[in-house]
Amino acid sequence: MKNHVSIQAACESFDAGLLPRRTFLKSLAALGATASVANYIASSPAGASTALATISGPEERAWALAKEMAAKADKKTLTLLIPTGSIGNMTPYADKWKDELGITLEFIEEPDEVVHTKGMQEAVAKTGRYDIMMPTAMSYPDWIDSGVIYDLTDWTEAYNPELFSPEFGVVFPASHHAQLYNGRVAGLLNDGDQITLLCRSDKMAQKAKAFEDAYGRPVGVPDTWKEYHELAQFFHDPDNGFFGSLEYRSRYYVKWMFMQRLMSKGMLYFDGDMNPTFNGDEGVAAIEDMLAVNEYLHPDAFSFTWSSNYNAFGRGEGFMNIVWPSGFKYSKAPSTGPATTGNIAATVMPADYTKSGEKLYAGLFCWGYGYAVSRYSENPELAYAYAQWMTSPTIGADAIPYLGGYSDPYRVNHMKAPTERLIETYSPEYLNTLYENMVNTVPDFCLPGGFEYQDALDKEIHAAMTSDKQPKQALDDAAQAVDRITRRVGREKVQASWLSLAQKLADPIKRASGADKWA
Amino acid sequence: MNTRPLTPLLALILLVALVVTLFPIFWIVMTALKPPTDWNAAPAIWIPSEPTLINFLTLFDPEAIGAFGVGGISESATAAVFGSILTSTCATLISVGIGFFAAIGLSRYTRVNRFTPLFILSGRMFPPAAIAVPFVIIFSAIQLIDTYVGLIAIYVAITLPFATWMLKSFVDEVPREVEEAAMIDGQSRLMAHLTVTAPLIKGGLFATTLFIFILNWSEFLFALVLSYSNIETIPIRLAKYVTATAGTLFGVQAALAVLAMAPLIVAGFLIQKHLARGMTFGAVKR
Repeated sequence: MKNHVSIQAACESFDAGLLPRRTFLKSLAALGATASVANYIASSPAGASTALATISGPEERAWALAKEMAAKADKKTLTLLIPTGSIGNMTPYADKWKDELGITLEFIEEPDEVVHTKGMQEAVAKTGRYDIMMPTAMSYPDWIDSGVIYDLTDWTEAYNPELFSPEFGVVFPASHHAQLYNGRVAGLLNDGDQITLLCRSDKMAQKAKAFEDAYGRPVGVPDTWKEYHELAQFFHDPDNGFFGSLEYRSRYYVKWMFMQRLMSKGMLYFDGDMNPTFNGDEGVAAIEDMLAVNEYLHPDAFSFTWSSNYNAFGRGEGFMNIVWPSGFKYSKAPSTGPATTGNIAATVMPADYTKSGEKLYAGLFCWGYGYAVSRYSENPELAYAYAQWMTSPTIGADAIPYLGGYSDPYRVNHMKAPTERLIETYSPEYLNTLYENMVNTVPDFCLPGGFEYQDALDKEIHAAMTSDKQPKQALDDAAQAVDRITRRVGREKVQASWLSLAQKLADPIKRASGADKWA
Repeated sequence: MNTRPLTPLLALILLVALVVTLFPIFWIVMTALKPPTDWNAAPAIWIPSEPTLINFLTLFDPEAIGAFGVGGISESATAAVFGSILTSTCATLISVGIGFFAAIGLSRYTRVNRFTPLFILSGRMFPPAAIAVPFVIIFSAIQLIDTYVGLIAIYVAITLPFATWMLKSFVDEVPREVEEAAMIDGQSRLMAHLTVTAPLIKGGLFATTLFIFILNWSEFLFALVLSYSNIETIPIRLAKYVTATAGTLFGVQAALAVLAMAPLIVAGFLIQKHLARGMTFGAVKR
């Protein structure tokens, strides 16, 4: 009770502007009050801003800028190009922007696979129809180079969104590869698309003894890819419609399964001179690992999309699944995970061994939406203010749990000092797992021509999975295609971007891949 | 008319053809009637035990499906249905209208060489994706992007070659003498073609109109690249039924697909007599 009174007092002081935000959050954390913070913040859609409007954080700076720019703006609408299905994280704040700033938020939804194209289209059409665009991190290089979005660095320096703060910043290294291009800020991340591994805890409990008898070790979430394979094999029970794993083998998704395994072996996609490295021994071994697991996969693995994959797992059709954080949300909620709710054990992606025999844990950050500001916006600074406000430590934490959006935790405080709503949505264990995985993450091809690189790799990995090509042949063909893309886009340009990205990887990944020695 | 008896083999072939043709329609209709829990069920549910109209209601009231725990649909399909009707109808009428007179010109008043019809069709020989971006640039410059006028103009441009070619084959089959007779009776050339040629190729006109309408009705690429927020068509809306809470909304997509099919099926049924004649018209050269 005393604790509750202290929390209440801290909240009141905070609302009155008597406590800086850091002190406020620290004092509440010290009181073990993250849940109370969340309740306080969650009481209204924009509760966080009510609480935080009086303190000097990224939210307040963004709001002050928004007020100033809204007053000056002739056009009282901010138009956002967003992927279909993501609107739910943004609509709860539309009334606040309308009522307090007089700014109407207009959302133009496009299928997620065409958002990048729509941005490139705007680069030539220059309609000024969009103020803010919400691409994945892979779009930034091409969009910046085509001039369709602003380099946000000057604004981030002026208004400090605390992107790199150890307490509240975006988790490193996603803070860099999912927001920066050549060291300059291209967009503000709003979606922590880090993949993690889910297992069925109930099935492990049921078969603990049998597993131990068979493998001589207690059953548990896999620590290595070898253990992952064994678990898939052991729990595979196709006669009862239950499969070892639901990982993807479908076009568009399958490359991520390969990229993840490749990184676990300490290998990146390119060397320091932009020569493809994925077609070496490690790449072949990664493909062979995947082929070996194929027999324990769900029969729909070759046609899964994220939604059919989540549905199948939620219905209880498999023991393991490799998912984005939204997949955990699905599996946890009784409505979408009737068989999995309460029965999930999540873990970081399994480790593997590098050439030197070192055990390496690596993650894969794939997709990851963020806000970019259109170069043709009539109110670019207002658009930036919106982006900073929405992705600020507290508003971001407030926005993520809303249903009907893709946003997942991305800042340190979202995982290490979560609000109650975040806890309810994900669970403290999962948030911790997500953080542990994200600190060792490697990005998508966040390079000029990134989508082309991905497509080239995806096509060949899929061909290997369907046995249309031998692993080595498929990877060599992919390497050739990737080389052609590099030559066409410009080796120097891509190399500069690649080196900039590789410099900002987690130390174990840099050491394992040799990137720490690149010039 | 002689009719061949239906042999068992012929009956089997017809049955297989019917199944192949009708199964996708059956599946779409069934999916449209399924509640969200049945969309992805495994094993698949062929016929919903509790059919519902919720998917159809959701098209026009996005909140309706919230009763099943599915949220995240932000817009109704009304604008898309309106957009499809407007663009397809206008573009089809303009395309067939211009195509009719172009066909008459090519068939009756030709002093052009025999490659002219081929040149007309050559506009359709480019992959649409190759010309989409240039159209975006041009239309942006002349303020036609994200407007119905712009989309109708594109649809006319891409379907006119088909309309001209199809109608020319029908006009070719009409004896010139009947038109000349009308002219001798005092009709102008224009009136002779409108009052004599057009009725004689009525079947062809219906068939061409339906064909062009289907092309416009189902067009996706140009609608996608030329639209921002002011215009929308059914194929574009179909691609947008994805939410974070339920993934792809197969039932709602199916409901919109059923609605999209309905006018074509009704139109085809109403004019099937002309359609059958139109499709075979000109098949035998004099």
